[in-house]
Amino acid sequence: MSLRRLATLLVREARATLRDPFTVSVLVAAPLAALLAFSSVLSTEVRGLELGVLDASHTPASRRLTTELAAGGTFVVRPYATRAALEAALVRGEISAGLVLPAALDRDLQRGAAGTPAEVQVLYDGAETVLAGNAEAFLEGMIGATGARLVTRDVARERDAGARGAPSGPGVRVVTRALFNPTLDGTPFMVAGVFGFVLSFLTTLITAVAVVNERLGGTFDQLQLTPATNVEILLGKLLPMGAIFAFDVVLMMLVAGFAFGVWPKGSALFFVAVSSFYVLTSLAMGLYFSASSATAAEAVQKTILASVPLVQLSGFVFAPRNFPWPMPWVAELLPATHYIRVSRAIYLRGAGPLELLPELGMLVVFAGVLVAVALRSLARRA
Amino acid sequence: MKAAGSSFVSNVLAMAFREGSVLRHDRAFLGVVTAQPVMMLLLMGFVLSNEPRDVPWLVLDQRPTPASRALVQDVLATGYFLPPRPVTSRARGEAALARGEALALLVVPRDFERDAYRGGAEVQVLLDGADPLSAARVGGILRAAAASFDPTRRALPARGRASPAPPRGPFDLRGRFWFNATLDDRDFFLAGLAGMLLTNLCLSVTSLGLVGERESGTYEQTLALPTRPLEMVIGKLVPHAIVSYGVLAIALLGAGLGFGVWPRGSVLALLVLTLPFVFGSLAIGVFVSTLARTSAQAVFITVFFILPSFVLSGVLLPYQLMPDGVRQVGALLPLRWYQIGLRRIVSRGGGLDDVAVPLLALVLFFAVMLALIRWRLKPRLA
Repeated sequence: MSLRRLATLLVREARATLRDPFTVSVLVAAPLAALLAFSSVLSTEVRGLELGVLDASHTPASRRLTTELAAGGTFVVRPYATRAALEAALVRGEISAGLVLPAALDRDLQRGAAGTPAEVQVLYDGAETVLAGNAEAFLEGMIGATGARLVTRDVARERDAGARGAPSGPGVRVVTRALFNPTLDGTPFMVAGVFGFVLSFLTTLITAVAVVNERLGGTFDQLQLTPATNVEILLGKLLPMGAIFAFDVVLMMLVAGFAFGVWPKGSALFFVAVSSFYVLTSLAMGLYFSASSATAAEAVQKTILASVPLVQLSGFVFAPRNFPWPMPWVAELLPATHYIRVSRAIYLRGAGPLELLPELGMLVVFAGVLVAVALRSLARRA
Repeated sequence: MKAAGSSFVSNVLAMAFREGSVLRHDRAFLGVVTAQPVMMLLLMGFVLSNEPRDVPWLVLDQRPTPASRALVQDVLATGYFLPPRPVTSRARGEAALARGEALALLVVPRDFERDAYRGGAEVQVLLDGADPLSAARVGGILRAAAASFDPTRRALPARGRASPAPPRGPFDLRGRFWFNATLDDRDFFLAGLAGMLLTNLCLSVTSLGLVGERESGTYEQTLALPTRPLEMVIGKLVPHAIVSYGVLAIALLGAGLGFGVWPRGSVLALLVLTLPFVFGSLAIGVFVSTLARTSAQAVFITVFFILPSFVLSGVLLPYQLMPDGVRQVGALLPLRWYQIGLRRIVSRGGGLDDVAVPLLALVLFFAVMLALIRWRLKPRLA
């Protein structure tokens, strides 16, 4: 291997890449667009869910219950006059849940103090599974609390010395605390994942397209006629691209930090180092796709086909742990799964190299295998 | 050369015939049409799930008692958890959370048994906030399991409690999940499947096809024909629309035969709703091809339209929970409106009148796209 030849190749590659304004804008704009699009879509906070209320009782108690439900901001209360109207709204998806307060609510409440609770019907829109689950959790908590207040007020008037309002009886209260992210904000989780997405998908796509186009244009064959060896050609391709994507990583870190206030809890330097190394894996994959395709369209199709498991299986959005057997193991075979795990560990838990040793080892293995495969496919072309 | 008065319909039909015979011989296209629905069906039907499964957790039992063991058994009985790993100190538990080895740490205090019998017992749960979505769900499951915990149930069965569940206050909430009684995520994903497949198909096929033609020169030849640009565009769209209905049929039959998810509402409404969506998506593809100069550029633009579509539209994640701004951006995507309509028809059994608003939005979108295409094509044809 000759350093001088390699340097020539590096300069050539950098020039070729920077000459095309479209590529340059993709290299800068696409990662930032992905960051902006994905970072805020995952929310565990429930706000403004539409709650239809059919109030058949029209009593102070029912009105109080409705205003208290609306007060928290979790629900936007929409009144409906008839059951049919409520059900139609549910079909049209206008409301996430429908609350039916019976005409006898007040009487039932009075009796409720004596032991049998007042029955309230809730219809959830099961078509939106996540929303329905959230709505259920919130409604049960809020109605329980409001109801307790309504009754203790009545009971307090009667001065019943039984102290029924105290949290006694069976049932265990759970005090939860979320480490690393106390508000369970989805943004840092997604930001850390977007790095994996951009560095896996975009890198592979850009490399695959660039190399195929070069092959179609004939410049690649010309390169192979020069005294440069395959390793030099490969490095000449990988290093400039790698440098650009390392720059992208830093750019994304800055934008995530200033725009969303999400900075890595662990060492930023360590994160950049790991990310730059991971880029190698994706670049090698891009080279392989391009070397094994006859046209640009074919290379693109392979990349996009490979991106489906990337988005769905790697843990970018859905946790592989929840998949049925054997899919969690399939997910382990994707380099992106490991990189995203490392990225989240550094960004959210402040993990250092020691804690991440097994994952980093996996990344090294993947990079080694993929670079070897890319080299072989290049050699076969020669 | 023919006179300018040539009939609109026959020109459109001629273009459609030509486009259809091109498609029939495109192997890559046929691959997209057949392989993609199968892959997505399997992913959505079997793999993707937000439901926690095999959750790894830790228990710090500060004084093992029958009551604390019963609580752990109650949590295990929910079916979401792996057998817990015991830890001997809080610091060790937190370190394991920091390494990402577990999602939750349950801390059972010393006086747990005494408090549990007396009432008002409390346990602490530390969650791994690095994975906020899972943490929120696991926290909810633990809270529910603990709330119904009753230490006397096993120890003193002779007491004979009348109601197995503890009274939850003055209201008895009778919740019912409509349309999806078990809140199965699969139904949610499968209902939106057709939207994802059609977006992929319509966008990639038209954008790549048109640019490819321009690169190979057949586009100019077509321009030399006495067809008007609008006739040409519509003629190009018609065969794709027919294929799209085929893909829709595959998606519906696959979800129905494979997973028992048949449309509950009017199939006619579904067919009507699909038409403006398909035309709108195809039009985006055409528009992309007027912007891009090479097929590589077309690919980038298409991919960076498809990905945000999937994430922001609500096919994978509920758009209702996204923050303001992001939600409104998503409303500009045709897939948002199509998936709203799909859920109304497929999951909730709605009819044509229930999808009037999404239908209108899709027609409007198509009209805007046509206007944009006309504006972009003009200078080239003058």
